Amino acid sequence: MRGNPVYKREMTISSRSIRLPMIMLIFNSILALAAFLNMYSVTTRVEVTAEISYSSFLQLYVFLTLIEFFMLFFIMPALTAGSISGEREKQTLNLMLSTQMTPAQIVLGKLLSSMFHMALLVVSSFPVIFLVFVYGGIRLRDLAVLLLLYISVALLCASFGLCFSAFCRRSTAATAMSYGFLVFLLLGTYAVNVFVRSIMQMGRADYANQVGLMTSQADSGVFFYLLLLNPALTFYRVVGEQVGNLDLFVQIIEESGNHPSGPLIGAWVPVSIGLQILLAAGFLLAAVRALTPSSGRTKRKKKYLS
Amino acid sequence: MLRIENLKKTFGKYHALDGLTMEVKQGALYGFVGPNGAGKTTTIKILTGLLAADEGKVWIDGEDAFGDARRVKEKIGYVPDSFGVYDNLKVREYMEFFASCYGLEGLMARKRCSCLLEQVGLEERTDFYVDGLSRGMKQRLCLARALIHDPILLILDEPSSGLDPKTRREFKELLTELNEQGKTILISSHILSELNQMCTDIGIIDQGRMILSGNMKEIMARVDQSNPLMIHVHRNMDKAMAILRSHGCVRTISIKDNCLSVGFTGDAQDEVLLLQRLIDAEVLIRGFYRQQGSLESLFMQITDHKDKEVLLYEGKPSI
Repeated sequence: MRGNPVYKREMTISSRSIRLPMIMLIFNSILALAAFLNMYSVTTRVEVTAEISYSSFLQLYVFLTLIEFFMLFFIMPALTAGSISGEREKQTLNLMLSTQMTPAQIVLGKLLSSMFHMALLVVSSFPVIFLVFVYGGIRLRDLAVLLLLYISVALLCASFGLCFSAFCRRSTAATAMSYGFLVFLLLGTYAVNVFVRSIMQMGRADYANQVGLMTSQADSGVFFYLLLLNPALTFYRVVGEQVGNLDLFVQIIEESGNHPSGPLIGAWVPVSIGLQILLAAGFLLAAVRALTPSSGRTKRKKKYLS
Repeated sequence: MLRIENLKKTFGKYHALDGLTMEVKQGALYGFVGPNGAGKTTTIKILTGLLAADEGKVWIDGEDAFGDARRVKEKIGYVPDSFGVYDNLKVREYMEFFASCYGLEGLMARKRCSCLLEQVGLEERTDFYVDGLSRGMKQRLCLARALIHDPILLILDEPSSGLDPKTRREFKELLTELNEQGKTILISSHILSELNQMCTDIGIIDQGRMILSGNMKEIMARVDQSNPLMIHVHRNMDKAMAILRSHGCVRTISIKDNCLSVGFTGDAQDEVLLLQRLIDAEVLIRGFYRQQGSLESLFMQITDHKDKEVLLYEGKPSI
């Protein structure tokens, strides 16, 4: 990591920029405020009812990790979407590519830098997240699994941000495409399942009416597996399991129909994390390919004219 | 040092390079000129590994440029037409970053950076932020950056664009100094008067093909031969006109204020004999000289009217 020139330069530049401290300040302020409000409401309730509800502290954990998850989910593309296209806009990308640095080293340097920023955000939030240990109910192992999920989600978001950044000439276009893909992962995978299932349901209902049978339960078919790429669903699965409440996860799965998916549901977290890492690797390879001269962009003739 | 053979590159239906062939000798300061869209930047991007060629071969220092990219890039220093600087990075850090891109680290890199910054006159600015430097300083910094790994071939793409005349002159002196130190330099520029003064060789490219290349002195001598002979007559204009009309090497004559502009196809010997005939005929002459050619006039001649006035064979012009 230390040997990568791009990573070292990014660290030097970001250490001088106000951007990272501001992101950390806002990130931790939101977490701290959420923790404070939750604890305030619990203690106020104790004053009124003289009853301590320990489940409220687990809710605090769910609430805080949820906020942290979504903040990471939305911050990571912002950190990476402009990184390569920004170099292109500043006309420094060609300078780097004309040196002995390979496109893979450039992409890796950018990735490491964004992952380091993610690590800073997560580690700086530990004091607030660890409030839950004051009351118990969550083990260190649970937090380790959550951390693994954060890393895989950050890796995925950073990778598609870098990929779009490598393909787009403008940072604004790269950012728009990154957030478009993010929305697809978050809502699109779910919407596709609901949509396909409702189409299938309509078809089966027509058939059932014609032959005088009861409507049978339809499902979304292979589109169900798209849900494995939905980091939010995997997050619900991880945290739900830790606090003993999988209602939301089950509800979302059921909305995509009846699937013979018992073993898959059981191994949802490792399979989902594995798929996300694979997808991230695919995006990184595509980013490297986009920066490799042999890939060429022959349709953009005006850019290369003397 | 650099040999290009039948280089082709198309963008869609547009032929940016259409069989470009050229050679840059070791130690040359090669001016690479051509009108906009001629294919200069495309050629340079292919040489620096930023663009892949469709066809053709390139050898740099005897090595296939499309082979081991790392080895080839080690031999090339590239200065693009833009500065390419980072905000929040100091001059020293900028240089050290590019040194590390070539695997130079630690004390060795620092020494090399200091040496180069001194050479380009930026030793006092090592702790200045790069984006705070003037255009001229940024250009010199870019040159120092391109030299960080001690390349044997330096490629500059329009390096003087946007610089004031004083800075351009300083930059030109710097390039001449580097050339004298043994660096082979390929420079693409639109400022032909500068190339005229500093280049040892020149290549003119148009529509993706090399239309004229060779040693600068030889080319300029040929250009001079195509220029008119200027004769300032003080007395006996009629006799002068009679002699010129009867001379076999005279093609055209025009008169303006006792000054004759003569299209003369003869060589230096013929010029001497003509002058002797005029003197013997008691024509009083104030001036007798070939009009000096310039790279601009040659460039305009070739790129504007090459099909009418310039016939090419075996890469050499016949004017």
